This record gives sequence, structure tokens and C-alpha cells, in this order.
Amino acid sequence: MILAPNVLALLVASGATALLTALAACHGVGILRHWDLSSGSERQLALERRTYLTSALVGTVLSFELLSLFLFVSSADRIAPLLIGAMCAVGTLQANGYGFATLYLKLALFLLSGLWLVLNHADNLVPDYPLIRPKYLLLLVLAPLSAAEAVLEALFFLRLKPDVITSCCGSLFSSAAGTETDLAALPPRTALIALVAAGAALLLCAFWTARSQRRLAPLLLGAAGTVHFAVALAAIISAVSPYVYELPTHHCPFCLLQREYRYVGYLIYPALLAATVTSVGVGALAVGRAETAAGELPRFRRRLARWTIAAELLFLGIVAACIATSQLTLR
Amino acid sequence: MLRAVERHRHLLDFALASLLRRKGKNAALIGVYTLVVFLLGSTLFFTHGIKREAARLLAEAPEIVVQRTVMGRYEPVPADWTEKVRALRGVSEVQPRLWGYYFDPGLKANYTFLVDRRAEPGKVLLGAALSRARGAYPGDTISFDAFDGTFTSFEVTGVLSEASELLSADLILIAEGDYRRLTGAPAGLVTDLAVRVPNAKEVPAVAEKIAGLFPHARPILRSEILRTYDSLFDWRGGMMLAVLSATLLAFLILAWDKATALSAEERREIGILKAVGWDTGDIMLMKFWEGCSVSLLAFGAGSLLAYWHVFAGNGFVIVAALKGWSTLYPSFRIAPYLGPEQLITLFFLTVVPYTAATIVPAWRAATVDPDQVMR
Amino acid sequence: MIETVGITKTYNQGKPNEYRALREVSVTVEAGEFVVIKGPSGSGKTTLLTLVGGMARPTSGRIFVSGREISSLPERFLTEIRRQSFGFVFQSLNLIRGLSALENVMAPAYPSGEPHTRLRRRALELLERFGLAGRAGAKVEWLSGGEAQRVAIARALVNDPAAIIADEPTAHLDGALAAEFLDLLAQLNLQGKTVLVTSHDPRVWTGRAVSRVIELRDGAVVSADGTP
Ligand SMILES: Nc1ncnc2c1ncn2[C@@H]1O[C@H](COP(=O)(O)OP(=O)(O)OP(=O)(O)O)[C@@H](O)[C@H]1O
Ligand SMILES: [Mg+2]
Repeated sequence: MILAPNVLALLVASGATALLTALAACHGVGILRHWDLSSGSERQLALERRTYLTSALVGTVLSFELLSLFLFVSSADRIAPLLIGAMCAVGTLQANGYGFATLYLKLALFLLSGLWLVLNHADNLVPDYPLIRPKYLLLLVLAPLSAAEAVLEALFFLRLKPDVITSCCGSLFSSAAGTETDLAALPPRTALIALVAAGAALLLCAFWTARSQRRLAPLLLGAAGTVHFAVALAAIISAVSPYVYELPTHHCPFCLLQREYRYVGYLIYPALLAATVTSVGVGALAVGRAETAAGELPRFRRRLARWTIAAELLFLGIVAACIATSQLTLR
Repeated sequence: MLRAVERHRHLLDFALASLLRRKGKNAALIGVYTLVVFLLGSTLFFTHGIKREAARLLAEAPEIVVQRTVMGRYEPVPADWTEKVRALRGVSEVQPRLWGYYFDPGLKANYTFLVDRRAEPGKVLLGAALSRARGAYPGDTISFDAFDGTFTSFEVTGVLSEASELLSADLILIAEGDYRRLTGAPAGLVTDLAVRVPNAKEVPAVAEKIAGLFPHARPILRSEILRTYDSLFDWRGGMMLAVLSATLLAFLILAWDKATALSAEERREIGILKAVGWDTGDIMLMKFWEGCSVSLLAFGAGSLLAYWHVFAGNGFVIVAALKGWSTLYPSFRIAPYLGPEQLITLFFLTVVPYTAATIVPAWRAATVDPDQVMR
Repeated sequence: MIETVGITKTYNQGKPNEYRALREVSVTVEAGEFVVIKGPSGSGKTTLLTLVGGMARPTSGRIFVSGREISSLPERFLTEIRRQSFGFVFQSLNLIRGLSALENVMAPAYPSGEPHTRLRRRALELLERFGLAGRAGAKVEWLSGGEAQRVAIARALVNDPAAIIADEPTAHLDGALAAEFLDLLAQLNLQGKTVLVTSHDPRVWTGRAVSRVIELRDGAVVSADGTP
């Protein structure tokens, strides 16, 4: 078990997050069961008031998740020297089965709560709450995920065995465990071409969505956003990271967050996450009953699409700059 | 877009004004909040600072220290190992070292004797903390019990500088002959070997070769010591924080209570605002800015105080709890350092729970019925 | 401008202390009218105002403001309409203590996000119009009764609403101040604002500017076209 201050901080944050999501879900259940827009009863009024609470709760969860995502990775990085064989965050996260699971859950929670807020905003644009059911059903998904995240994160840190030399006696030969990952199998050139293609597709769909009223455009944008996210992660691991580190064998996606590399990850990842949340959000809105929200919804959709464009341009721009200024050439 | 910004500005202004209007109530809350940030922040900054300090000092330490263990028991190292180790590839320098502990029953403290060329026969140099504790300054004489019960006196010729006090607090530099006379260490044996390996990548290989060369040799890597320090300090810091979490909890209850127990005046005010055209969301946004201002103020003040306390005041409040493995507390200065990670951690430990605890009360307050002000 | 269709308000619905404060009330107020609602204490005047003003929702029935149904609108849509349509003056004035007169006048417009300088200018103009230019910076608790009354009207006007709604505005005022207040309302009415006032004060219903009196009793309309 590791009881470092930042570990405690993470546990506090994930506990608080789980609590807030559970609370939001409880209110969500009430809303799902008793919602009746046509009624002027006091209960309906109380339920409508609860929607303010749930939006505030999910907004808070989103910001907590974003922060804890980065603190989690940087803590994993900091813990690495305590674990024999671990060189950086990847090694720490692989030290037991809970590390990557926690990371993925954090990522999923961030994206889902971002999506929820997009739905929520769209829902609040018109008086008749067209998305109230899907929204609160999604909230019911968020709550167990958030609880699972808190539990897995606690288990992860509890089960970490720092192989320390006690007082001053250490055994040298316990090292040698490899931390190679097989995440980097993709040939870098292919990965970069795929990234450019996915980025171009995303931008095209976003432009189209910003211009046209066709329902197909946002659906395609949502799909492009999903594909782009996966491709971008693969490309970061297989190609972008080596370019940034100027080492063809260094594939760690987390070292991008370190000072040595000018904290470039703190620009790349938020931009990517923003592009993903906005584009997938637009897609999700188009899947739902979009027609009821005439007038306001298309405007919101166009605004989201413009955000996608901005975030994606930032993302691609930084990636391009990293590759252009790198001393390394990969084939 | 601009309207949204302007709306935030108005609500922030209003929130600040309403905080100022209730100075008494808010000052108490901010005071306690600041104190909690200060305590947790001091612990964090201190732990981190001392770790950096240890790393900085160890940066000069040899990459490998070779000791000898026979049947699990520590034994002195034969001095003739030196040449064989020096011949290994990758090794740039080997320094046989002679040192040992000495227990002072008067002070109930352990000193470390280290043979060093700076000490001439019959004279010693003292670590600063030790010099203070024994009241021995350059020119004085200081005596120790030798292993055979005789009483030996030395002249103090100097005090070691404070810069490296974490490791040298209890140090006594002594000449080789004096040391052997004091401890009875036989000639031809040394305590350990300090091995320099310039290329970090070769360190494990060299250590392995040393272990192969002498069956009883035990090479200790600098990186392992560093790791031990790291986890030791992390653990202490973590324990301290766990203890302080009781304070945090008390504070959260206070914050929750303050946020829940709205005065009639505040309730009326919110009712009025809602009656004249504010929405529940506007009130919540105003409350959000109120919470942000309180948090920002307390977090800023608390971390500044903690910074000052740790790096200028040497952490006098928490020092005993964190360091107490030696009776001689070094009064060294930790090099000031504050990274984003410490601040984020502190933020997570204070602002995040505060926000979580006040969100529901803020909503409750915001759902006051506007029509109640009509009665 | 305002139309209620068979609105009923039941407090504490489903509980033992259930109370029907309004039953099937249907009234219409045209734009530009000066309407007084009168009736004995407890007859539901205030309740009717809160419903019309969008501060509470009717248990059943519908309310239209400028042709738009507001009775089923969620709060976040209602407030915008409320801000544009109604300025409120309360029986106990309800100024926010600790704030200056100017800040009190500006407060209702804060959420609209109007640029600060413009809003401030407008609020100052209003105060000036009511002869309060010199008192703009004064805390409201130091204002005299008449001054406070005028600040409350200025606040009701800051969003330039189509109608002024006032609940028992003269209850705490002596004869002279009450007359002054009624004059102000009459002026505003002349400038095109709809005025809706409740009162059981004869000075109010007999005012010259009043165009119509609606009488309530036990939560029901007794007469809707009484002349002053
Ligand atoms: N929140 C509430 N809960 C329960 N009953 C209420 C509530 N508000 C008002 N009532 C009741 O509804 C009835 C109508 O109240 P309302 O305030 O509308 O009367 P009013 O005509 O304005 O009286 P007054 O002239 O005294 O101001 C009263 O009997 C009152 O007790
Ligand atoms: Mg009344």
C-alpha cells in the first residue's frame, strides 16, 4: 500500500465524486419515476427544481474528473521510482490489474459526464424537456461507474507493493521486470496518416454540421468524433510520443505531461477531449428526438460544431508543431 | 457570449458584495478554512521539500556502497577489496570508508563518526546540531568513551556548514588513527566502500559483478536508498495527512452547517431576488461564485502561510511529527520549491471536499419560494 | 395582456391542511389598463398576483401573458418573460438591506447580462426621475419611507416591463405618501404601462386613474368589471 499525499488526495476526490454522482442518480430516479410535465402539482415543481441540482452535481463531477485524470497520471509517474522495475506511469499502472482499469474508468466518466452536460444544455433550450428520460437514464449509468472508479482506485493503491529496501538493506536483484508495453505496435507512418485522415474527416463533418440543417451531418460528426478519438490515442502512442521524446522506442503517452516535454500533454489531451465531447455530443443529440427542439437546437449544434473545429485545430496544430520541431524522423 | 460573461461578472460582483455584508459569519469560515489549508499545505510542502533535499544530498553520494554481510550479520570490509573493485569496467573511483555510530548516554542520541582527511589527529569537526547540543564550539575540547572504557579528549577545530545539515547534523569528522583507537577497529578493515560509476546505465551491471566477485559483498545502490527515503517521507506525510483528515472533517461539517443554516435575512434576500426576476440557476451561479471566492481566498492565504512556514520558518509547527527519527533535529532550511503537483494535491484535499459539501446547501438556498416574500 | 382561464390554487395539496385559496378564477386585463383587485383579507388577492406574476404555478387552469401560456413553462423560461413583462412592488417594499439604493435598482437586471455601464446609467436615470439622484449611494436602511417607496418603484421599472404589479402598496403609508404613490402609478399608466394593484384601501379603488375593479371573495371572482 502506498500512502503518499497525492494518493490520499485522489482517494478523497474519487470518494467525493462517487458520492455526488450517487446523489445525482438518486434525484434522477425520482425524476424518472414521477416526472409529469402536464401536472402543476407541488411534486412536479419539486422535481423541476431538482434538475438544477443534478446539473450542478454533474458539472462538478466533470471538473473533478478532469483534474483527477491528470493528477492520477502524474501520481502514477511520481510513484514509479518506488516500484522496482517501473520507469514511469505505465509501469505503475501495470503494477496490478486495477491501474489501467481505473484510468479507463476516469476517462469514460469524463466523457460521459461531458456528454450528459451537452444533453442537459440541449434539453434546457426548450420548455418541454424533450431529453429528460435519456438524460436521467444516462445518469443512472454514471453512478455505478463512478462508484466502481472509487473502489478500483482504492484497490489499485492498496495493492501496490512498494518493493522498498527497509532502513538500509535492499536487495538488488529484484529488479529486471520489464515494463515494455505492446501498445506501440502500430507503424508510426500508418498511424500518422490515419490521424490526418480522421482529423480531416472530423473537421469536414464539423464544417458540414455548422453549415447545413441535414440530420445526416451531426450523425456523421458523432461517428467521426468516436473514430477520431481512438485513432488519435493510437497515433499519440505509436508516433507522436516518439517524436516529442525524440526517441524511437519511447512510446509512453503519459510522459507528455512532464516538465521535460514542456507539459505539452496538458494542451494535447484537453484539446482532444474537448473535440471528442463536443463532436460525440452533437451526434448523440441527433440520435435523440431532435425535432422538438426546433430553432434553438440547430443553433446549439452549430455552436458545438464550431467548438469541435477549434479544439481539433488546436490538437492537430500542436501535434504538427511537435513533429515539425522534433529532431527525429520516423518511417 | 459577451452577455454571458457580463452575467457572470454581475453575479460575481453581487456575491462579493454579499460576502462583505456578512463579514462576521464569513470571516470565521474563511479563517478555519485557511487554517486547514495551512496545516495540510505545511505537511505537503514539508514532505516534498525534505524529499527533494534528500535527493539533492544523495545526488553527491556514491552510486554504489559495498558492504559485507556474513550469515546476515554485518561485517567490516577488507581494505584489499578496493583494488579489485577499482579494476571493474565502468568504475571510476573507489573510496574505502571508515565510520560508525556512537551512543551518547548523556544526550541519549546517536552520533556518527566518520573518518575524514579534514580532521587532523587529536582534533575533530562537529555537525552543527551536535555542536549546539553539546555546547562544543571551535577551540573547546570534547571527550568520548572509547570501546575499552578509557576517556579520550579531542579538540574541536570546526563546525560543519548548515547547508547539508539533514545528513551531517550528528556527524563527527575524525582522523583514521583516532577512530581506530576509539572503536578498536582493526587495521586492514574498513566499514564499507564507496564506488563511483559515472554511467547510470552501468550501475546494475557493476553491482552484479561486485556481488559475483565477493560472495559476502552486498552492494547498495543509491537509487534504492533514494527510493527508501521517498517512501519513508511519503509514508510519514501520508500518516500526518490521515491524522489531519479529522480536522478536515470537522471543517467540512462546519462548512456544511454554515451553508445549510441560512439566516432569515439571507433567505429573505434570496426570495426577493427571485421575486424580482432571478432564476434558481442565477442564485446557484451566484452561490458558486461565492464559494469560489471563499475557496480562492482561503486556499491562497493558507498556501502562502504554509509556504512561509515551511521554507522560512523551517516548519516549526509540524517538524516534530515528521522528522522524529533522531533526537538531534537539524535546523536546516529546505530549499523553497512549490510545483503544480503540490498545489493540485492540496486543492484536492481542501477545495474539492469543500465544494462537494456545499453544493447541496447552495441548491437548497436557491430553491426558496419567491412568493414567500409577498407575505 | 394578461388572461387567466379557470385557475385554481390549492396549498398543501393532498395533506390534511389542504387549502384552496383560489377557485376557477378567470379574469382578463388588457394592456394599458389600471386594474385594482379588492376583497376581504384572505380572499386570495396576493395568491392571484403571485400566479399572474409567474412566482408560483396554478394547481390547474391556464395563464396567458401577451398571448403566451406561462402556467406550464419551466422556471428557466418563465423568468425571462417575467423580467420583460412585470415589475413588482411589494407590500413591505423588500429592498435588500446593506445595498445602496442604486444597487437595489440594478439588481433585477443582473442576470440579463446587460453591460454594467449601460445598466448603471439607466438605473441612475430612473432614480433621477423619482427625485432620488442625490440618494443613489445611500444604503436603503437609511432612506425615509417615501424615498424607499420610490426606490422600490424604480427597481420595478429597471427592466422596462410592460406591467407594474403591486400588492397592497399603500398599506404602510400615511395619506400624503399614499396619494403620492398613486399619482406615480397613474403617471406610469398614462405612459402606457399596465397596472395591476391589490388593495382593501378605498383610497386606491376610488383613484381617478383606476379603470376597473375586480372583486374577490373566498377565492372566487365576485365581480370583474366594477367601476371605481
Ligand atoms: N403558503 C401557503 N400555505 C397555506 N396556505 C396559504 C399559503 N399562502 C396563503 N395561504 C392561504 O390562502 C388564503 C389566501 O391568501 P392571500 O394571501 O392570497 O390573501 P389576501 O387576499 O392577499 O389577504 P390579505 O388581504 O390579508 O393580504 C389565505 O387564507 C391564506 O391563509
Ligand atoms: Mg395579501
